[in-house]
Amino acid sequence: MADRRVAITGLGVVSPTGIGIKPLWESLLNGKSGIRPISLFDAGKFPCHIGGELADFSARNFVPKDYRKAVKVMARDIEIAVAAANLAFGDSGIVTRSAGDDKMTIEPSRLGCNIGAGLICSDLDELGSAINTSVADGKFDIRAWGSQGMNNLTPLWLLKYLPNMLSCHVTIIHGAEGPSNTITCGDASGHLTVGEAARLIERGSVDAVIAGGAESKLNLMGALRQTLLNRLCPDGASPQQACRPFDVTADGTVIGEGGGLLILEELTHAQARGARIYAEVVGFGGACDPAGFDVTRPTVGGLAQAVAKALADAGIAAKDVGLILAHGTAVANEDALESAAWEQAMGESARTIPATAVTGAIGSLFAGAGGVELAVAAMALHTQTVPPTVNFSTAAEFCHLNLSAQPRGAEIEHVVSGAFGTGGQSGACILRRYRK
Amino acid sequence: MTRRRVVITGMGTVNPLGHDVESTWRALLACESGLAKTTLFDASSYPTTFSAEVKGYDFARQFPNASRHRHAGRHCQFALGAAMQAWRESGLDDYKELDRSRLGVYLGSGEGSLDFDNFTSLLVDAWRDGRLDTVRWSQLALAKMDLHRETEQESNMVLAHLAGEFGVAGPAFNVLTACAASTQAIGEAAMQVRRGDVDAIITGGAHSMIHPYGVTGFNRLTALSVRNDEISTASRPFDLTRDGFVLGEGASILILEDYGLARRRGARILAEVLGYGASADAFRITDQDPAGAGAAASMRAALDDSGCSPGDIQYISAHGTGTKQNDSVETKAVKAVFGDLAGKVPVSSVKSSLGHLIAAAGATELITCVLAIRDGILPPTTHYRTPDPECDLDYIPNAPRKATVRVCMSNSFGFGGQNNTLIISACR
Repeated sequence: MADRRVAITGLGVVSPTGIGIKPLWESLLNGKSGIRPISLFDAGKFPCHIGGELADFSARNFVPKDYRKAVKVMARDIEIAVAAANLAFGDSGIVTRSAGDDKMTIEPSRLGCNIGAGLICSDLDELGSAINTSVADGKFDIRAWGSQGMNNLTPLWLLKYLPNMLSCHVTIIHGAEGPSNTITCGDASGHLTVGEAARLIERGSVDAVIAGGAESKLNLMGALRQTLLNRLCPDGASPQQACRPFDVTADGTVIGEGGGLLILEELTHAQARGARIYAEVVGFGGACDPAGFDVTRPTVGGLAQAVAKALADAGIAAKDVGLILAHGTAVANEDALESAAWEQAMGESARTIPATAVTGAIGSLFAGAGGVELAVAAMALHTQTVPPTVNFSTAAEFCHLNLSAQPRGAEIEHVVSGAFGTGGQSGACILRRYRK
Repeated sequence: MTRRRVVITGMGTVNPLGHDVESTWRALLACESGLAKTTLFDASSYPTTFSAEVKGYDFARQFPNASRHRHAGRHCQFALGAAMQAWRESGLDDYKELDRSRLGVYLGSGEGSLDFDNFTSLLVDAWRDGRLDTVRWSQLALAKMDLHRETEQESNMVLAHLAGEFGVAGPAFNVLTACAASTQAIGEAAMQVRRGDVDAIITGGAHSMIHPYGVTGFNRLTALSVRNDEISTASRPFDLTRDGFVLGEGASILILEDYGLARRRGARILAEVLGYGASADAFRITDQDPAGAGAAASMRAALDDSGCSPGDIQYISAHGTGTKQNDSVETKAVKAVFGDLAGKVPVSSVKSSLGHLIAAAGATELITCVLAIRDGILPPTTHYRTPDPECDLDYIPNAPRKATVRVCMSNSFGFGGQNNTLIISACR
């Protein structure tokens, strides 16, 4: 099985710094952040009024003309996934059904999909305007709702909010008829989907898979839940400098929106068509923290175990790693646990190997985070560059990772990237530099 | 390389027909119906006034140590109950050498239900001049909404509770591919064992969408039966008069493990997972591929994976939702895969009695396959009266049937086109 190697041949990123991997990579190298005051809604009494908002974004520009009508039934999470998929396939050079049935350059049944998603919140204005047709004496009247009110919702209302619709729209647009999965494990989702996608290729079920995740919690319910979890930073003088992972001044994360999808492809399949290969996926590990169900306590989801397993799966030692791509939520007690987890998994090497995190530039993307982080990991290998940790200046007392606010050139053979989320699951992936 | 064999060593369920495996099986074979008027909320004016609720399940009383999981949502309570049954049956509790980092969990669990009363009254109380006054909404929300009620809605929280209860430190996944979720979870869980990533894994699914917005969503899609005057017989898979599925709720959990481990520790092996297949329709979000190509591809992939030929399959547990479209498409797909054998292999849908447990459906149906093998009896498609020319297979109508079966296939097709098939057998 291990003789089927897994290459990364396409990157599709939608992030607060712009559409595509390029604006994200440039903003990381320039130390720029995409965090700004929220304009999508008025965050009212919530303590945090900033976010990693996508500017002027619509999926309409990323779907074939005959599919534009369907954008109406896409929650923002789905729109992000659809856009990222378009970018990823475009970047890979694989021509999909979106260009026309007869133009596809991969056998449909050999193309799989696995997209991580979160809990999608229904649009409160849309639902509210329907709900408020069924009010008597200032109270919601469920009988009026059942007989009349619900008819104010579009018939396809439910389909806007099902997490599997990220995968479903993408498989439909691109003609991916192989196995299709949807993983919903918070911030760990992206790493878990990429790990599972690599397994699909290894075991011969498909020749290519689109994998990663997308989410937007930049809405009232998302803001409420993150506020109740006490994970957000308060408003400060400068939105751009608000999210400071592993820094001594870190005081919470910022909600971002976006996602990253990667094209994973069986190596010889990619070579045969002369594809650009960013990196190989050579190791994966998953783990969980049995105490994770208590959301009042910070967790990193057993990250140390996930990283150790990924290293073992890749058959490498900690010292073979040239870059640690940390998750770095900028929630201080999570950062502390994360730093300790890297040390537990990698020993002294965790203090010397260059490390970085992207959250300072884009905020927390939840199910969208992992795919973006792995796209950045692939770029780091491809360009042999360690991107800086935006907004990092002085390490927190507990943080022993080798972070820098400046870009660094390096000889990177392997990147290890790991993530974890509320609830206590984690995933880690090892990417290897590709040499012809 | 010889691949590791994957066996089932424990099963548990909480569903509309029972709170454990044996009572559920008895009810299914007695052709009982789990359908009744909806009591979880006032659905009396909804297009559909009935559902298949879990009845009389008292988590606080029935679950040991329930207070530890006091924030668990309804479907999570079902899952904990089902998982405890499965865990105990497997005997893993007494196996002290179990390495918890090699114990995984792979669920197909749905989202938790909204804090309906607060959520809805806030939409009313903060509504000003045709739109939401977000300042007022945020103020009310911070005052009224509860941390746990909100966070438990994320679909990875059932996973988190099970991991906590059983000390899971290995890989943990939740898949949410609509109605196919728990079949997909079990298939992928089997792959984890087969590859050697874990020694044992807790898998299955849990879901409850019987709440005002869940039923609203399905009613707006016109996916539900509206046979409000004939509730107990409303779920009619493959029957000409079928008019939609009946929304159910529940959880079913299985313990899968490496055959070698099960043998070493002397576990009772209930069945072996032989094969798993998956595909996507890649057709439309609202409709299945009318030719059934996606469903057929899923069945073929499972056959390939298992090394079985269609002639080896002695029973098919159908997805069989009771919607016009699914049942005719599934019939077409079975014919495409099984050819001349299609009319000979018995097919049934236990959704006729249980309703559609959505994410939990596939796991519940797989349990009935294990029992069919164990007891040599096939569960029927109940309420089957009027044949549909488009659905002309042997659906085991209205009465269970004695049959010696060693190999069964179980299908689940998710809304949006994600298809999954499992093949299990008696353990050699």
